[in-house]
Order: sequence, then structure tokens, then C-alpha cells
Amino acid sequence: MKARLLLLPISPLALVAPAYAVTYLTVEQAQTLMFEGRLLTRDFRILSSAQIQAIESDSGVKVANEQLHAWRDAGGGWFLLDQVIGKHEFINYAVALDANGSIRQLEILDYHESYGGEVHLPAWRRQFVGKQHGAPLQLNGAIKNISGATLSCGHVTDGVRRLLATYALVLASTEH
Amino acid sequence: MPSCSRPPSIERARPLLGTLVAVRVRGAAPRVAHRAIDRAFAAIAEIHHLMSFQESTSDVSRMNRGAARAPVVVHPHTFRVLAWAARMAQLSQGLFDASIGSKLVEWGMLAAPDAQALTDANATFRDIELLGGRRVHFKRRLWVDLGGIAKGYAVDRAVAALHSCGIRSACVNAGGDLRSVGVHAERVAIRTAEPPLDALPVLEIRHCALATSCGRISSREHAAARVTCHVSGHTRQAVDARTTVSVLAGRCVIADALTKVVLVDRAAAVPVLRYFSAVAHIHHPESPGSGWSSEGVLQ
Repeated sequence: MKARLLLLPISPLALVAPAYAVTYLTVEQAQTLMFEGRLLTRDFRILSSAQIQAIESDSGVKVANEQLHAWRDAGGGWFLLDQVIGKHEFINYAVALDANGSIRQLEILDYHESYGGEVHLPAWRRQFVGKQHGAPLQLNGAIKNISGATLSCGHVTDGVRRLLATYALVLASTEH
Repeated sequence: MPSCSRPPSIERARPLLGTLVAVRVRGAAPRVAHRAIDRAFAAIAEIHHLMSFQESTSDVSRMNRGAARAPVVVHPHTFRVLAWAARMAQLSQGLFDASIGSKLVEWGMLAAPDAQALTDANATFRDIELLGGRRVHFKRRLWVDLGGIAKGYAVDRAVAALHSCGIRSACVNAGGDLRSVGVHAERVAIRTAEPPLDALPVLEIRHCALATSCGRISSREHAAARVTCHVSGHTRQAVDARTTVSVLAGRCVIADALTKVVLVDRAAAVPVLRYFSAVAHIHHPESPGSGWSSEGVLQ
């Protein structure tokens, strides 16, 4: 067992408080992993206000994005891409549903955390949207872990509940 | 020309144990790495389902509902974690105490397992009897909570799963309780209770386990006092929410439990740290210098 404590100076020029970001999988990597390379067809939807209302009342979770990022496979399964925002964290994740609409796999794609409140700022969030490579706010390329008071993943759980309602109300009737 | 590129690494993360669990594997072919990571997640999910305070079918819930009436048979993993908890409680003379569930329920941090049953305010870890045949009996009415130790155990199980798949270099991080195996040095940023202003604390570790505890994120107001999810086994009071403790040890189950012992009573924790050849790095914003100091077996 070897260990040492380092105190790395934080640049006074840094515009944001210490933040942490890590990318686990790109969208393509997650699709390959979860559907073993099978062909997926992009089937993005814009949710109507009636659908949003129905999803919210069914799941008890607010729909923040009217865009539904969905891909379907020939066997009736779905790959859904979603994001959730917590108090300190911003998480992109993917869910694979089988033909019955039950969850086969869930993978976190990337995770961004900030000490300050900027996670709620549109400008802070925008820099991650559509980016799947790299970790733009990573303090130091060699730091890949964080240890501290446990962050809750409750927002992902809520997000999954919302996605399952979205599947039942919007996607289940899709003909493959 | 010799290659100086870093070994390929594959990392995935899932929400488990109420937090984000990440598993990183180095130097293995992608197919092998992904299969090993799947096994590691499955090992953690098993511990989650056995030891969750909230899931009604978990061993913990079954014990909390019935172990005061008659012995409850539990899974070998649950029995092992209870044995670790008992050992920690004995060595720390009760500073670590898994019978604090009712206190966390009272403070609104856990949902009551059975609204009908009241717990005995005098119950301690000594009332948790581990019997033959993996049976558990509570001598008084109590609610056991393994939240202070099960996550570390789950990390150790994930590492064992990776080993069984032939993985020799990896890192498993369950919301900050982590274990690194192999020769590769890991740099771990420490999230302190008070955000750092001028220097980011980073622990560089190799082939060991690390756990960090502080009360800030889970702290809240209760009856005009600030409480956290960490409770002293002696006084049943919450510990200081501004202190952050990182413990390094050989196994994550030890590191996880020892953070609570150090948080509760730093001086009394020293012999326990020494017993496990562990070291604690402690941060408090009002401590002199950088705010950091250490206890235990320094490397």
C-alpha cells in the first residue's frame, strides 16, 4: 500500500470553482455494448404538450426536454439517451429496453460535477451537450477519481422512471 | 522504439448503492474487460439488494422486521458484513455501531422499516447476536443500518469479481469508496466538506483502498440542531459536519468503517487505525496550515 497527499494549487484565474468531469462511454460505444453491434435506427421524437403532461402525471417526474432521443432495433428493443441535472451534478446516461419495455441495461455515459451552483447555468451545461469525447472541465488529466461525501444518484432513478413512462405512452405502439 | 503509451483502460459507471459506481479496467482486451466489468457490477448489485435499508426484501429489512422476535437466517455476505461491523464495534469500543438505524430514521435520513415497531433507545451493537447457521438475533428491538460499511464491502466484492476474470489492474469507485489494484498509481481528488479555495487535495494511491466521509452533503436541520448521517455510537449525536476524513487501508470494508470511527473520535481511533495498518488524512477548515493532518500508520 502506497499513498501520499498532494495539495495542487488552484489557479486564481479559473473562472469556475473546482469541478470534475469524466466520460465513460460515447453514444456509439454504449450502443455497440448494449446491442452487441446490431443495427439501430434513429427515431427521434418531439413530445407534444399532451404527451409531456401524460408522462409527468404517470411518472411523477418533470419532463425538462421535449426532445426524445431514441433509437430502435429490429427486434423491438430501444436505446434511449437522456440527461439529468442534480444539485451538483449533470449526468448523461443511456438505457436499453427490450421488446417488452423492461430495462435490459443502464450505463452512465458521462458525469459532470461542480462545487458551485453553475451546474444550473445554461452556459455551463451547454458545453457538454452533444460532446461525447473528452472532459472539458477536468482539473487535471491524471485525476480520474473523486472521493468524498456520497453523491446521490436519485436523479438518475427519477429519470429512468420518466423514460419508462415515455416508453409506455409514446414508443410502445411503434411498429418495428 | 519502446512504447511509452499508457495501457488501454475501459471504464463504465452505473447508479448502484444509492450513488454512482465506476469500474475501470486496464490492460485487458475490450471483450474481457467488459465481461469483467459486468461481473463487478453484478457483485455490487447483489450487495445492494442484500443490505439495502429501504428495500423490503433485503436481509437488513428482514432482520429489522423480525430478528428481535426470532433469529433470522441471512446470506453469507450479510453475515460477513455483520461480523466486520461487530469487529469494528469491539475494536473501537462502540464508536462504530451498526445499530444506529433508528437514529437516522428519527432524523428523517432513512425511512422507517416498520412503522408499527418501536426500537429500544438503549440498544447497541452488543444486542446484535451472530449465531451458528448464519442466524442473527437482536436481544433488544433495534434497526441495523449497514450503510457505514456495506459500500466498502461491495467494492471489495467487485474487486474479487474482477480478479476472478483475470484482471490484474483496476479501480472500483463507489461514490468515493474506492479500491485500486495493480501497480498503476491513481490520483483521487478529495471532496472536502468545505470547498477548497486555493489548493485541491489529491491522494495518490497504489494498490490500496480509500474511503472518505464528511457530513456536509447529507447534513440537515433537525430539532434546531445540525445533524449528519454520521452518528457517534457513544453519544448518539451527529458528528461535526465540517470535518472530512479520508482513510487508506488494505480493504475497502475497513477504510469505509474507519472513516466513521475517526470522524466520531479522532484520538480513540488511533489504535484502531494502527491495528489495521491504516492511515487517516483529516481536514477541518479551522485546523492550522493547510487544514490537513494525519493519524495512523504513515507510509
